[in-house]
Amino acid sequence: MIEARALTKAYSDLVRGDVLALCGVSFSASPGQVYGLLGPNGAGKTTALRILSTVLQPTSGTAIVGGFDCVTQPELVRHQIGFISANTAVYDRMTAWEMVEYFGRLYGLEDDELRERMEQLFERLQMQEIRDLLGAKMSTGMKQKVSIARAIVHDPPVLIFDEATTGLDVLVARALLDAVAELREQGKCILFSTHIMREAERLCDRVAIMHRGYILAEGTLDELRDRHEERDLEELFFQLIRRQQMEADLISN
Amino acid sequence: MATFPALEVLGYCREVPTGPVETTLKSSLTHLPTCLAHMNWRNVRLIYGREIRDQLRDRRTLFMIAVLPLLLYPLLGMSVFQLSQFLRKSEPRVLVIGSEQLAASKELPRLFEAGSFAPELFDDPVDAARLRVEFVNGANQEQSVSTAEQRLKSGDAQVVLRFPPDFGQRLKELRDQVESRGNDPQNIRGLAHFAQSSEQNVPVPLDADSSGIHTNTEPADASEQEQAVQPVTIPEPQLYYNSGKEKSAVAHVQVAHVLDAWKSQIIRENLAASRVPMNVAKPFDVAPHDVAEKKQHQALLWSKILPFVLFIWALTGAFYPAVDLCAGEKERGTLETLLSSPALRTEIVWGKLLTVMTFSAATALLNLFSLGFTARYIVAQLKMLPASDITHGLDLPPLASAMWLIVALAPMSALFSALCLACAAFARSTKEGQYYLMPLLLVIMPLMMLPMAPGSELNLGNSLIPVTGVVLLLMALVQGNYADVLRYAVPVVGVTLICCHWAIRWAVFQFNQESVLFRESERFDLRGWIARLVRDRKDTPSLAEAFFCVALIYVTQFFTQLAISANTPANPDFRFFALLIFISQVVCIAMPALLMAMFFTERPLKTLLLDRAPSPAACGVAVLLALLLHPVGLQIVHWIRVLYPIQNDVLTDLEAFGDLLKKAPYPWLPYVLMAAMPALCEELAFRGFVLSGLRHLGSKRWAIGLSAVFFGIAHGVIQQSLAAAAVGMVLGYVAVQTGSLVPCILFHLTYNGLMFATLKLSEIARDWPTWAVPFHQPAPGVIVYNWPVVVVCALGSLILLRWLHRLPYQATREEQISEARARQPHHALTASVPGNAE
Repeated sequence: MIEARALTKAYSDLVRGDVLALCGVSFSASPGQVYGLLGPNGAGKTTALRILSTVLQPTSGTAIVGGFDCVTQPELVRHQIGFISANTAVYDRMTAWEMVEYFGRLYGLEDDELRERMEQLFERLQMQEIRDLLGAKMSTGMKQKVSIARAIVHDPPVLIFDEATTGLDVLVARALLDAVAELREQGKCILFSTHIMREAERLCDRVAIMHRGYILAEGTLDELRDRHEERDLEELFFQLIRRQQMEADLISN
Repeated sequence: MATFPALEVLGYCREVPTGPVETTLKSSLTHLPTCLAHMNWRNVRLIYGREIRDQLRDRRTLFMIAVLPLLLYPLLGMSVFQLSQFLRKSEPRVLVIGSEQLAASKELPRLFEAGSFAPELFDDPVDAARLRVEFVNGANQEQSVSTAEQRLKSGDAQVVLRFPPDFGQRLKELRDQVESRGNDPQNIRGLAHFAQSSEQNVPVPLDADSSGIHTNTEPADASEQEQAVQPVTIPEPQLYYNSGKEKSAVAHVQVAHVLDAWKSQIIRENLAASRVPMNVAKPFDVAPHDVAEKKQHQALLWSKILPFVLFIWALTGAFYPAVDLCAGEKERGTLETLLSSPALRTEIVWGKLLTVMTFSAATALLNLFSLGFTARYIVAQLKMLPASDITHGLDLPPLASAMWLIVALAPMSALFSALCLACAAFARSTKEGQYYLMPLLLVIMPLMMLPMAPGSELNLGNSLIPVTGVVLLLMALVQGNYADVLRYAVPVVGVTLICCHWAIRWAVFQFNQESVLFRESERFDLRGWIARLVRDRKDTPSLAEAFFCVALIYVTQFFTQLAISANTPANPDFRFFALLIFISQVVCIAMPALLMAMFFTERPLKTLLLDRAPSPAACGVAVLLALLLHPVGLQIVHWIRVLYPIQNDVLTDLEAFGDLLKKAPYPWLPYVLMAAMPALCEELAFRGFVLSGLRHLGSKRWAIGLSAVFFGIAHGVIQQSLAAAAVGMVLGYVAVQTGSLVPCILFHLTYNGLMFATLKLSEIARDWPTWAVPFHQPAPGVIVYNWPVVVVCALGSLILLRWLHRLPYQATREEQISEARARQPHHALTASVPGNAE
């Protein structure tokens, strides 16, 4: 469903010169699976997900979503995905209902179908009370709900959550994770990036641990634990990063 | 240093489906997906609807668009009223030194009356009270003057008028003199004779005893004449004022006016005293007759004001919503939400563009109506101001002109909106967006001001200038010159539509640039930046480096020209001329490009298209193409000169250059200077460095077009620039298709060489039989080939261009991606997605 092959992304930075945000990252995810991208800030998670959502172009490598190429067929790819990120904000001067309706129409839904689907969504995500509230007056949690409704209104086969729980309180974050699990049950292919180990443990079928643009380890959680003989995911994570740091130091010396 | 292997890039490119060369080229013609057929208008409508609603919910925007214009003009009207009150109220103080001597002489007409200037000296006697007069009388005039000057400088007084000590006395002497002459019959005869000859029809009002006037034809006695004409020198009264202070400058004019009136009175009385008729001093008056009807006069005035007001507001009205819709959305983070929706970038741009257009047009119209509404009030106030020519006969504009303004508003709104949108898309925050208003105004304002200049009129040349053409057309419409309008409507509309098209494509292009959409602020450090330019240099220059190179060339040219014009000898010889060309080509054009290629690119030879040997066939075709395009080029040069005639002084300069060329010590030397040197230097710069950088745009057509425009601008004289830009297009195409600079140099060499040779051709062909001469000379120094030659050559060059078109050109990575995208079947979009309506 999602396939990233040797994705590389170079930015030019004033001070540091060309910075590689991604160095030949490859992974694939299939329907009914939550694939986790796990890594600290600046690991390249957002860049990878932005490439998959066709907002950025890779410097090299290919990304295929739902059988379409992200570089040459971006419009087709965008029809297949729902993208939720810390950077995809809610319009200030639109109510929740208007916002979801607007994106539903952009995805090409018919009016009747759209209304039916929206009623369902608003019920399921418990958004009835913020239906006519302007985006500017919503709390972070409310906004996130609207974002989710916006991303799944067209029932896409692929969902991309980029640090979606950032800034949410425990209750709302829990509800979001439940929603993601529910979507997995519906057979969606879900890409979930986070820097919180607990979330990954709770939710992900497979994870890729990323650091500084590289994937350090990849597999199911059990595979990773067995391979590195470490039951605690957080400890595993620190080990991997420490080892990469040492290797990098060796090379530079 | 982090680099990614070139192999990977190539590997990526291999995966881009590549069709046969032919389809690759065809699809490159539809590079950016602006093709309207691909667009889903339902999405555009959706985006438009949302943006409009969003803007209408914003109180600030509503205030700027709707409330401000409604308030602005009434407020403006109020302030005009206040200003006129102020102008009337301000009473300048005039210090008068030495006025006592005037009061003493009873013969003179009165200058002062009851402590101020005499009312009869003013056009409107009421104005006399508005000049406060303060008399400074004292024995020591010098001292009074110095204190008065102090007061003038401090702004306490506005004007100082000083009559020198014996001014009154001398005036009196003059009066006595003329009076005595008036009573002397001899003089009367002489003067009367003079008056008779100058104004024969007017009877001379003389005393009865001077009946001899018609009979006396004897010349007056020379010695007597001499005695009578002995002049009385009158010391000049001094008028001091302070031009650094507005109030003083105005008062100075008023006092000078009063003194003139007083002088006229003295002249009149002196003439009467000497019994000379008034006609002597004022033989005739000119009676002006303006054949323009009042309506026409008004139309002229309104035709200058209204289009300007309308378009300025169209621009302002477009700018703020554009910044909010692009930079504002970036700032609020909603742009990425929209970009990850299935809407095409083109659809997003069109949705936003239509929104901006709506606001632009609405602002302009509201301003127009508010202005019209308030105008009634302002006009009434203006009429109460001190009379001036402008306000005279001012009335409301006719209704028909308002209609034409509204018609012209649509394309101008579209143009301004697209420009604003492109600028705003580039900005990363609303604050940065606001900065771009000024450069935009600086470009557009002169185009709007140009038609206001006296003497600029609607002709073919002017109608081809964007914005200016529309303003001129509107002026003609408001004035009712429908014949002109019909003649030039097509070029004006054509140019405007082309500009709109390119501006919109530019906006779409900006939205396709991820570097533009995801620019993040970073700390600027000059040293780090330069170090980075050298350290992280790529194989070929970046876009920004290409633009910088062009700017560098222009700046060097500008300063060299300044230096040269300051050091030009009175009679320049050939050596000076050769040096001039060398500097202007090598130093100004080739050097910047070569240096930048050396320092800022990893592979200078690849940048300058010199890394691989050109095919002999390509070189041959380039030379042949230059030969065939020569008559076509001359034809174009001729057309340009007809459209935009070269000014005489420029023409003289050009002729002087031509004469200098003839003084060359060797016959081949001019060819080196005029053909070989430009061929090498200009190609290295414009087809080498600049074009290589511009090709990162992702569209070879844009790259070629822009490099040609830059090439044209480097030529200084506008007529040459236009012709050079046309040649630049062909040269750019040759460079891209052959991938080598050598054919371009050969083309340029041949083309310039032929151009120079034609100067001599006319001399050689002088003795040929008429039928054998394939050209004619419509003007001295201009050669145009006969049209069959031009047509055949044009067809021939088309065949050669077709040959070039078939060459497998080396696309840059950006070009490959955009071509691969353009090849995507867009109709599949709607078919493949379930639940899609269309």
